[in-house]
Amino acid sequence: MSDAAANVGLDTARPAQGGRANPFLLVPITLFFLLLGLAVLRSPSLMSSAGIGSAIIVATPLILATYALMASVISGRGTVDLSIGPLIGFINVTLIQLHGAGILTNPIAIFAYAILIGALYQFLFSLIVIYVRVQPIIVSLSGYLALSGMNLVILPRPGGVAPQFMADWGLGTSIFSPVFAILVIASIAWLLFTRTAFYTHLRLMGSDERAAYTSGVPIYVVRIGAHVISGAFAGLAAITFTALISSGDPSQGTTYTLIAVTALVLGGASLAGGRGGVFGSFLGASNLYLITFVLATFNFGAVQSFVTNLAYGSILVISLLLTLIIPFIQRHIHNFSPLLYFIGLGVVAMGVILHATNDRDPRARPAPVDEIVVMQSLSPIALEKLYIGPLEVAAPTATDEELRQQAGPLVLAALLLIVIAVFVRVAVSQSDRRTIAPAVTVVVAALVLFGAYLMRAQGPFAPNSSEPAATEESR
Amino acid sequence: MTTLAQPPKLGLPATIIGVAVGIILTAIGVVFGFLQGLSVQLIILAAIATLAAFVWGWRFVLGQFVSDAGSVPEGEISEGRKVWLQFRPAIYGLIAILALFLVLSLTIEGFFNVWNVVSLLIILTIIVLTRTLGRHFQENRSAFIGIMVLAGLFSIGSMNIEGFASANNIKSMLLFAAFLGIASVGQTLVALLGGLDLSIPFIIGAANVGLLYLIGLGVPPWLAALIVLAIGTLLGVINGFLSYKLQGQALIVTLGTGFAISGGVQIITSIGTAYGGNVFGTVPDWLSNLAAMNGSTFGLPVPPVICIWALIVIVLIVGMRLTVYGRYLYALGVNRTSAKRVMISEITYWVMMYAISGFFAALTGGLLLGWSGGGFIGVGDQYLFLTLAAVVVGGTSLLGGQGGYGFTVIGVLVLQVLSSFLIGIGLDFEWQQFIFGLLILPMVALYARSPHIRTQI
Repeated sequence: MSDAAANVGLDTARPAQGGRANPFLLVPITLFFLLLGLAVLRSPSLMSSAGIGSAIIVATPLILATYALMASVISGRGTVDLSIGPLIGFINVTLIQLHGAGILTNPIAIFAYAILIGALYQFLFSLIVIYVRVQPIIVSLSGYLALSGMNLVILPRPGGVAPQFMADWGLGTSIFSPVFAILVIASIAWLLFTRTAFYTHLRLMGSDERAAYTSGVPIYVVRIGAHVISGAFAGLAAITFTALISSGDPSQGTTYTLIAVTALVLGGASLAGGRGGVFGSFLGASNLYLITFVLATFNFGAVQSFVTNLAYGSILVISLLLTLIIPFIQRHIHNFSPLLYFIGLGVVAMGVILHATNDRDPRARPAPVDEIVVMQSLSPIALEKLYIGPLEVAAPTATDEELRQQAGPLVLAALLLIVIAVFVRVAVSQSDRRTIAPAVTVVVAALVLFGAYLMRAQGPFAPNSSEPAATEESR
Repeated sequence: MTTLAQPPKLGLPATIIGVAVGIILTAIGVVFGFLQGLSVQLIILAAIATLAAFVWGWRFVLGQFVSDAGSVPEGEISEGRKVWLQFRPAIYGLIAILALFLVLSLTIEGFFNVWNVVSLLIILTIIVLTRTLGRHFQENRSAFIGIMVLAGLFSIGSMNIEGFASANNIKSMLLFAAFLGIASVGQTLVALLGGLDLSIPFIIGAANVGLLYLIGLGVPPWLAALIVLAIGTLLGVINGFLSYKLQGQALIVTLGTGFAISGGVQIITSIGTAYGGNVFGTVPDWLSNLAAMNGSTFGLPVPPVICIWALIVIVLIVGMRLTVYGRYLYALGVNRTSAKRVMISEITYWVMMYAISGFFAALTGGLLLGWSGGGFIGVGDQYLFLTLAAVVVGGTSLLGGQGGYGFTVIGVLVLQVLSSFLIGIGLDFEWQQFIFGLLILPMVALYARSPHIRTQI
């Protein structure tokens, strides 16, 4: 409690930094790049289009479940929503059953249904917490038991078929799948939300509810809002979960509770409330995925799941213990920037990735390539070249030219992503000033997007048009 | 005078939402009624009953929680009106239950029989008793309510279910209650300090597998049992130390150590065997006797585990009431700062309670091995939330300082009798879980509501 309060005090001193100047991200960032480097060295095929694609497909439900947990955990009072897993399972099985009965067919209706049910459940949850004034963990415990019983009643055993339009979402053959889009939209939505006064109120309430109440924050409204957001995330998590398993499963969703709590804490959030964010939650959930991935490359055979459990547990405890040294770091480094740290380590990790995927020296690549057990549907060689293609300066041969043509859209997409991110960042940081600047950035961003669309529309992935487009945008 | 009978005021939005939801529910009922081709009179009756019951529920259940400060002007209140004011919610509750019963017996064929009528009367008696006598038990209200629920459930069960009150069934209920009760010892003690121990199920599973593994290796069973108990205690010490260092993170720390323990033990037991995670061995006779249904204690046809549990209950309740350790524990739970001021070592108690928790979890694991006769890592999984539920239903506050093991015993018995009852009327495991979930909330809401924020400033 006290460290959370201290943290808030630290942030109010530097309002411009907002929720991002969080030294608690130190541990997850370090762990993330350690694991990423290890994963790539063990199995370079992770860094292919299909490898990343399937990683996204598998990890997204967990990431979104962690987001859902995070939104309610921030609101304080020890709101650790144990019922998040059964809720995901509940939406999953009802969705499958309703779809099977022919009621829900439209994609929009399915999305609306999932989000609505999640939000409705969390709305009820918050009403109980507010008006009945029972500890949230008891409410969530009762929700856990009730919902996980309910799921088994609705769908006694795994089965059913996911809606048609989701059928190929779970394949994970390319990075830019609809699941990835959901993940990005959810993350951006939260980042935009952090710019609002509502979010400030939420964090204040999470750190010290009495202070929030006495300073006139409408704590009931804030709490309800936090839960509704959490419910919406849970709905999205359920949709991606349905896409992943492309059927209904009454008990699989329930397992997400403990993993999501683990991921949340690994991501540096405080279960006491007031501290947490999508960046940390994303890192925490990715770390869990990477742990599983790395351990899978070692091929432990029958004891695989035990080793995974052991690793989960020990890494969780160790990273919690590491947070104990954060006050010492804070004392010596006053201006810790997680973003900078992230980028710095990211450059190192990029070097490792390039080395692992492209180094032709046989000594640099020991055996592990044939030990790949996780990814089956890969054709690594062509895709590896695809990454180095745009960087080569030597005279291109015919195959290189072809590769470069293939790489065109990828480069375009990456540049677009960067441009969009920059513009969103600018727009967001300007949004609290009463000038015309936000409008200008929005218009410029729209123009850039439109230009990219036109370019894409003219020649389908023509490399000649994609390169100039990139230079235009970066201006 | 008419204003006195007014229900507590709700805000306008709450009223509107309530009425809207009530109308929607009624409409759903009417539609279903027509679809099923019931007679119009029945549908109208059911619709009115639904709407009335819902609106009542909305205004009074919610209203009670919204405005505690419903000030009643004093003076000039007749005796009858006083009674009416005092027991108003209970009376409305009675009417609602009567209405529900009426509707049920009109709609369901064969519902109206003598046993159900008697059950109804018992429920009504319990409600009346809880409302009238419960006021005199401000201290131990949860225990009182728990005992009332227990008595009610038991009498209803023994009337409706063949063989519910037979010696065999009671013995088996007590047997399972003993396992849950022993597993909840640690959870209760830790909750009294304001912590949580989620590693209990994992230690149970690990002890279960580990004991059989040690016996399979050729270690004498008594020595194996001692080793397992010692390791359980040691793990508890680690838990306690870590969660003391990481204040406020007890939930996640114990979860982490739990994962690590269950993974580690499984790795150890499956090294050198071809069966990943499956352990084989013979359970010694004395261990089976300890926990099996047909076990006997000194010739009495009672499984010894029940006696062990009874012993634990007595020692713990007496110990926590009378010894210095027990009182210090409560002192720490209520206010750790002031406890520190009177030279109570916080870390000692914290570590000690987690160590006890680990010990009893290991004991439960060993006893469950005697009961089932085969090692299985997942044997403790259901105890993850059941121990918590038992503690909470019994009335021990998770914030620390309030409650005790006696309360948990009541909670354990309520859960066990309820589950036997639900099995008896033919409900599956999933329905039981569903009803457990729905039951915890109102039971806790009856006695463990936290005060309004404006009173905490």
